[in-house]
Amino acid sequence: MEVIEPKGHGQHAGMWVFPDASVMTEDVGEKTKAMPRPFTTALAVTGIFFVLGIVGFIARAVDDGFDDIAPWGYYMAIFSMVFMVTSGAPLVSLAFRFTKSHWRRPLSRVAELFSIVSILNLLMFIPLMFLLPDIANPEGVVEGELAVRKTIWFEGPIGAPHAWDLVGVLFLTITSMTILWISAKPDMAECRDTATGFRRWLYNFLAGNWYGTKRQWNAQKAGLALLGAFYFMILVFMHFVISSDYAQSLIPGWKDSIFPVIYTITSLQMSLGAILVVLFIMRRWGGYEGYIGKSTFWSASKVLLGVTLLWVYHLFAFFITFWYGRVEIEQNVIKYLITDTYAIIFLLNLIFSFALPFAVLLWNPVRRTAWGPALAGVLVLFGGLMFNIRIFVGSANAAPGSNLYRPFMEHIPAPVYPDVWDVFMVVGGLGAVIFLYLAATKLMPLISIWEMKEGTLYQKWGKFLRGEYLILGKPE
Amino acid sequence: MQEGKPLNSKQVNRELLVSILNSPKWFFGALSVLGFIVLVAMSTAGFMINQGFGVTGLNRPVMWGFFITNFVFWIGISHAGVMLSAILRLSKAEWRRPATRAAEILTVFSLMTAMTMPLIHTGRPWRTVYWIYTMPFVPFDYARGIWPNIRSPLVWDPSAVYTYLTSSILFVMVALIPDFAVLRDRTTGISHRIYGMLAMGWQGNARQWKLQIIAGVLLSALILPVFVSVHSIVSWDFGMAVSVKSWHSTIFAPYFVVGAVHSGVSAVALVLIILRYIYGWQNYIRHEHIDALARLLIVVATGWFYFFVMEVLFGFYGREADEIAVRNFQFMVSPWNIWMMIFVGITYFVPVAIWLSRSMRRNLWIMSLACILVNIGMWLERFLIIVPGLARKQLLTFDWYTYRPSSVEWIIIIGTFALVSMLMLTIARVVPLIPLYDIKEGEILRTEIKIGRVTVPAVFRED
Repeated sequence: MEVIEPKGHGQHAGMWVFPDASVMTEDVGEKTKAMPRPFTTALAVTGIFFVLGIVGFIARAVDDGFDDIAPWGYYMAIFSMVFMVTSGAPLVSLAFRFTKSHWRRPLSRVAELFSIVSILNLLMFIPLMFLLPDIANPEGVVEGELAVRKTIWFEGPIGAPHAWDLVGVLFLTITSMTILWISAKPDMAECRDTATGFRRWLYNFLAGNWYGTKRQWNAQKAGLALLGAFYFMILVFMHFVISSDYAQSLIPGWKDSIFPVIYTITSLQMSLGAILVVLFIMRRWGGYEGYIGKSTFWSASKVLLGVTLLWVYHLFAFFITFWYGRVEIEQNVIKYLITDTYAIIFLLNLIFSFALPFAVLLWNPVRRTAWGPALAGVLVLFGGLMFNIRIFVGSANAAPGSNLYRPFMEHIPAPVYPDVWDVFMVVGGLGAVIFLYLAATKLMPLISIWEMKEGTLYQKWGKFLRGEYLILGKPE
Repeated sequence: MQEGKPLNSKQVNRELLVSILNSPKWFFGALSVLGFIVLVAMSTAGFMINQGFGVTGLNRPVMWGFFITNFVFWIGISHAGVMLSAILRLSKAEWRRPATRAAEILTVFSLMTAMTMPLIHTGRPWRTVYWIYTMPFVPFDYARGIWPNIRSPLVWDPSAVYTYLTSSILFVMVALIPDFAVLRDRTTGISHRIYGMLAMGWQGNARQWKLQIIAGVLLSALILPVFVSVHSIVSWDFGMAVSVKSWHSTIFAPYFVVGAVHSGVSAVALVLIILRYIYGWQNYIRHEHIDALARLLIVVATGWFYFFVMEVLFGFYGREADEIAVRNFQFMVSPWNIWMMIFVGITYFVPVAIWLSRSMRRNLWIMSLACILVNIGMWLERFLIIVPGLARKQLLTFDWYTYRPSSVEWIIIIGTFALVSMLMLTIARVVPLIPLYDIKEGEILRTEIKIGRVTVPAVFRED
């Protein structure tokens, strides 16, 4: 598809694209079907990584079993990384749709498609459920130890935390997939007429009886709003649960009310970063240049800049409160996670989650490109990986044995480096995400056709005084 | 989102300068009443300084009460200015236009009022000079080698607040220049000369507009870190105190900032509704603007509620006896538990329930009520953080006590509300509380798109 570039406005040219609505369905359908060689190669390579991850997991299970959480620190870290990216992405889409931003249109489906990858969350969480130590001290009441360790479940409802955590992850996955389904329904209905074979059956099945009546559009809008609100609540809750159960409660003495917030912000930062990377790849190599204007990168990068600043602000709020008080319990947590044991990982985390993306995104000329925000996206993803390694490897190994039931961490443990199975699992986890996402792009259109078509109605190019400018419709 | 009919430049000037060029009959009456209340409050503060803190309800261990609560409250209100003006300007939200000026000016006055509170609270205000200066003409410190403790949040606090005040004044003044020029051209005599001086030679040429826009954007971006730092540092007045268990929480900084935005934006919405009513600015402050503010408030309030839940939950998480004692006092002991329920209800559940309904968002009476409730609730929030924490600060129960504010404190607190109202009313006589040029720009950029049989409001965008 050709890009119709506005003329006469040097720096603004190419910021907005105006795709032709009449050929959009066919064009996107063709792109969805196409299997170019680089795509199949990427699929094969990530598939191999995926298999390596499974090998690493089996080897770890055979070597160490599921009795002790300590050897599974890197597995926890990669689970959390996958969880953060895939759970945050649908929220990014929902938030920008809620604010009615026109520039969001090309990224809506890109973000929602991560819902399919969220199946991995569920699969990866099942072993973790068995690894989480009991809340009650198995030794009973022992001097110098707590009978019940500190968790958000306190004395706990029946099945806490294990079963409830699983139910939460399950709900989150189902909700995000339902959102994807409802959002994609109009596109499925459009595409079913041109698709063939399995895709035709799938689109027909997913579209159901969608005919695009006014009632159906209203129902879709209401459904997305309601599910969006529900998803937001359950997402925030699950971030709170995972960050507390699998991190904070495993480090004795770590009582940090801001950590769930930091976790959620990191998740949003990483998912936005991942979305920008996907958008860049689509635009550069996927043939979607006619659909994705630079305005999408420009606007999303400003949000990423804001989230990056929020991240460092919350981190500082945590650090200063713990550092200033000079309380031994808090000092030990800082030494363990920030200044001593995992100091290098923390430094990498800080550089890649804040310093470098901030330096990149600070410059408007860089934000106005497609590569600048995508580069920042890669940086924050790496920073996020460091964050997860620091927190979850640290948590899994903070209190070996019954030390977990002590009121605080008396000795600061040494860092734990990955062995070959850990490397396999980390690489495998990342490979699995990319593999599943790539596969998903061949099942569903990567562009939300109905939203793009709606956008063509509201975005015009018009004459104003002596120049031509963009006109944006504001329906409500 | 553009309701109402298009406005031309002359009409904008005529209608928005009505508060300056014509004095309504009620104006001096209202000003006198507010001035009287302020005078009574000032006399009461003088009485308190003369008599000592014995005339207040402050005691050991509750040494922070109404004054510090009120200080945090007014600092919170000041966050509306930047929230609305800078963030919405950077995000190019069209509906910001009528709200920015009032928000910025409210910021300045609430900051000034806030800073009177710690001064009054010291009991000996003249001695606050020791917080900052050690100079030969301040003999006490100089002689004894006592220096300001820069590690104390009480030194960070004034530094941050005064930086915010300075930058807010600069922010307002830069935005006011084109409007001062309009006033310069429509006044005579001494007013003409003063407005001429303030307009700084503004002619409205392309270069001046460009500079003004760049200055506005730069100041918007630069003021944001100051805005965040101010309430963070105020929160650290509490958070750094390890001896008060319920205060020593890592979430305090963002919790305070979000709370401040919540109360501040609600206050601005209320001010806008009042301005619309008293000056007849229906063409400018329209239902759509209040509606947009209310929708923004749903998000802010929900964010605030999330932080509140985290703060309380992690209070219980540690299960430490001294913290549980505070929480027990907050949630189980009457009347504190009743206040707690009222506070949560009127800060979150009632207003958000109102804002979820489009018709209620557009009912100005109900919106006013919701905004007032939020601000009462946010005042209570600070009170319920400060007093129970101190009341149960000590380890031994015979050192536990409670707090009951005296009439002296009530009068001074009421006086601060009168002071801000009086200052707002006075400034409305001097500068337009709705920016003329911003409204005119909005009108120029306003257009429509025809889609089928429907005409959709639209705007021209440069990028």
